[in-house]
Amino acid sequence: MNQNEIIKWLRKNLFDTWYNSILTIVCVFLLVWGAKSIFTWILFIAQWKVIAVNLQLFLVGRYPEQMYWRLWVSIFIILGLTSVTIGSLVKKIPNRWLPLAWAISFSVILWLIGGGLGLQAADSNLWNGLLLTLVMAVTSIVISFPLGVLLALGRQSKLFVVRNFCILYIEIVRGLPLIGILFIAQVMLPLVLPDDITLDRVLRGIAGLTLFSAAYLAENVRGGLQSIPRGQFEAGKAIGLNSIYIMLLIILPQALRAVIPALVGQFIGLFKDTSLLSIVGLLELTGISRSILAQPEFLNRYAEVYLFVGLLYWVFCYSMSLVSQRLEKV
Amino acid sequence: MTHFWRNRKFLSIAAQLISVFTVAIVVFILWDNLTYNLELLGIGFGFDFLQSQASFDIGETLIPYKPTDSYYSALLVGLLNSLRVSIIGIILATIVGAVVGIARLSTNWLVRNLALVYVEVLRNTPLLLQLFFWYFAVFISLPKLENQISFFGLINLNNKGTQLPFGLEISSELSALILGLTLYAGAFIAEIIRGGIQSVARGQWEAARALGLKPGLIMRLVILPQALRVIIPPLTSQYLNIAKNSSLAIAVGYPDIYFVASTTFNQTGKAVEVMLLIMITYLTISLTISLTMNTLNRSFQLKER
Amino acid sequence: MSMQDVVIVAENVQKWYGKFQVLRGVSLTVHRGEVVVIMGPSGSGKSTFIRTFNALEEYQQGRIEIDGIVLSDDLRNIDAVRREVGMVFQQFNLFPHLTVLDNITLAPIWVRKWSKAKANEVAMQLLERVGILEQAQKYPGQLSGGQQQRVAIARALAMQPKVMLFDEPTSALDPEMVREVLETMKKLAADGMTMVVVTHEVGFAREVADRVIFMDTGVIVEEATPTNFFQNPTQERTRKFLSQIL
Repeated sequence: MNQNEIIKWLRKNLFDTWYNSILTIVCVFLLVWGAKSIFTWILFIAQWKVIAVNLQLFLVGRYPEQMYWRLWVSIFIILGLTSVTIGSLVKKIPNRWLPLAWAISFSVILWLIGGGLGLQAADSNLWNGLLLTLVMAVTSIVISFPLGVLLALGRQSKLFVVRNFCILYIEIVRGLPLIGILFIAQVMLPLVLPDDITLDRVLRGIAGLTLFSAAYLAENVRGGLQSIPRGQFEAGKAIGLNSIYIMLLIILPQALRAVIPALVGQFIGLFKDTSLLSIVGLLELTGISRSILAQPEFLNRYAEVYLFVGLLYWVFCYSMSLVSQRLEKV
Repeated sequence: MTHFWRNRKFLSIAAQLISVFTVAIVVFILWDNLTYNLELLGIGFGFDFLQSQASFDIGETLIPYKPTDSYYSALLVGLLNSLRVSIIGIILATIVGAVVGIARLSTNWLVRNLALVYVEVLRNTPLLLQLFFWYFAVFISLPKLENQISFFGLINLNNKGTQLPFGLEISSELSALILGLTLYAGAFIAEIIRGGIQSVARGQWEAARALGLKPGLIMRLVILPQALRVIIPPLTSQYLNIAKNSSLAIAVGYPDIYFVASTTFNQTGKAVEVMLLIMITYLTISLTISLTMNTLNRSFQLKER
Repeated sequence: MSMQDVVIVAENVQKWYGKFQVLRGVSLTVHRGEVVVIMGPSGSGKSTFIRTFNALEEYQQGRIEIDGIVLSDDLRNIDAVRREVGMVFQQFNLFPHLTVLDNITLAPIWVRKWSKAKANEVAMQLLERVGILEQAQKYPGQLSGGQQQRVAIARALAMQPKVMLFDEPTSALDPEMVREVLETMKKLAADGMTMVVVTHEVGFAREVADRVIFMDTGVIVEEATPTNFFQNPTQERTRKFLSQIL
């Protein structure tokens, strides 16, 4: 861009009216002052040792070092599948094997991380930090998906009991704060289950997140179901399909496709909500930060730790929101 | 001859009966386990404990409270605190959201993109983390009273809290909570308002300009009323979120209803009763907000033929 | 004519929506190979009547028998009837998430349990029959209204039904596309398909119908051959209706 074009752009975008010009000057002042303060702090005042020393804890907690290769394999699988999925979405060539591939890799990755069946088991208490956040978020969304679809279908049901049970569940869960649900899951689940079944903390946390997420997902899917014209259902009946086939082959594929952007938004929300598990004692990313900050040598490094952890969350959430915006255009 | 297992009327009734039966059985089993376990732990069921002495202190109260007061009083204090945070949060977040939302539509490139950065940063980090940041990294790290930060003598910030004009003093906990909730919800509300304004057809703008109206008047008289139709439903969701997110007060130590209820549970072990109290409280608050906003919504709907 | 020649028998069919009676004792017999056109003002119950033939609408009194199968609450009967009755809707109701070919092969594969190869082969033949073989891999959204309706006809034919029901098949089409769909329907009639058509297209009725029926307020007012129906209607109500549409 030559000098004339630059001046033209500045005139149009920053200085076109008198109050815009004032705003621009004020903003530039604030930006320069802000940038100077922030960079001074970042480079000279902040003590970043707390991050450098504890990086492993932040990312994978106390996961045994000799099993790191399993995490690398998992990352490799995820990256591979993601690029294939993005490629297929961009070129608009649907790949029939993709959903199955994702489903299988989900189980494989859980097996890789957790162990059992031939691999050495890694106690779930050792999964901390970002690793735990990811495992909990993904597991919850995967389990809450069929649950949410069932709830949405149940809400439309003609059976009085089923429909009202679903409505009650959805409205109650959506009216409560997540921390209340987690409290209920942590405290009530052991009380309503028979004595011989004990759920460890991680499972109870996942249960709470799943129950919470399923209700919101149900409302999203319900919106999608309601957008399907009645004629689709009638055409299905007219060609002789029974209700189950109509639902699986005709209605649900269309409904789910319509709500994908909302679903991604929900996953972003769920990912952020995993931070609440730190309040019920789980050491995911936020939880492990607090426990690192409790160490005497790192006692006042709040800003450094929270900014670093905030950056980690931000990278994940912002990338997912970019994916969602891309999906909406498809 | 219609066999009964293929008769659709019979099947419909059978499905109803089976579903009632199944739900009843599941509820019965869970209830049975619950009462059994409660007995085992020696915790009965009943709300009498509400009259007993609370024996814990509460940092901030809107009504007078002593540790010798009953649990009932303690919970009431918590409820009032929750309401205080929610109402202030809703008001402030709406203001912040409106300003940022309109800024997102500014013709000034700098203003527009600063607003964008604000929205994208705050929306994509967890609220809890932001609350921790505000509380630990900012508010309790403020200098002591002698060295406090002062804005024109009207607003003072120190490590005990915030001093506002008219003798209002807000603790560090409440300051962090309100600031965090406001900025977080403000980001979402900004996008809702921006979307609402953009949803008003371009033709409206052009028609108003053609009539000679100035931009400020156009916004106020033509665009905003129509935008509000689109804005109110998702805005209601955000208000509900603010009320629910106020429960994160426990993270910064501000005694809201959840904090008090949780402490009550820790002391009495009355899981079911506390759970019911929490549920009833939040469901009532949610219902009130929804009903209020829905009434408002109806008055904004277009009157059509 | 032997009993097997009768495809549809409807005897004194009555239907209520709540307190409102929409079918007030309608009777109809349709023989194999016949083309029956039903006309009438909106609200006359003509669409509701033909939709009782494949159980898309329930009826409270009367009797309906399709190809010898009695239409009752018996699920097996309902399924059997739906296999023998094909329906073409005013709004096409194609499945937008499937290709044209998959739209047609869906039912044969999942209901008649044909192999994909056999279903595809039959589907391609049908597409050729309705004249849009080249659109097989396209999605409904990429086709014109007339093309979509022809796909809908092919989809209904794929189940090899004994009778085809048409519920105002051209009412949602732009005028220039009405002709291509009517041509397809005329070819179908010439091939000997039993058809019951609810339509306003007088030309089609005159050319192809064996019988024209006028329905109003839930009853059959008049039933005659096309010539008699259009030139010498016996009922006052029929005359009034014809004066509005001719």
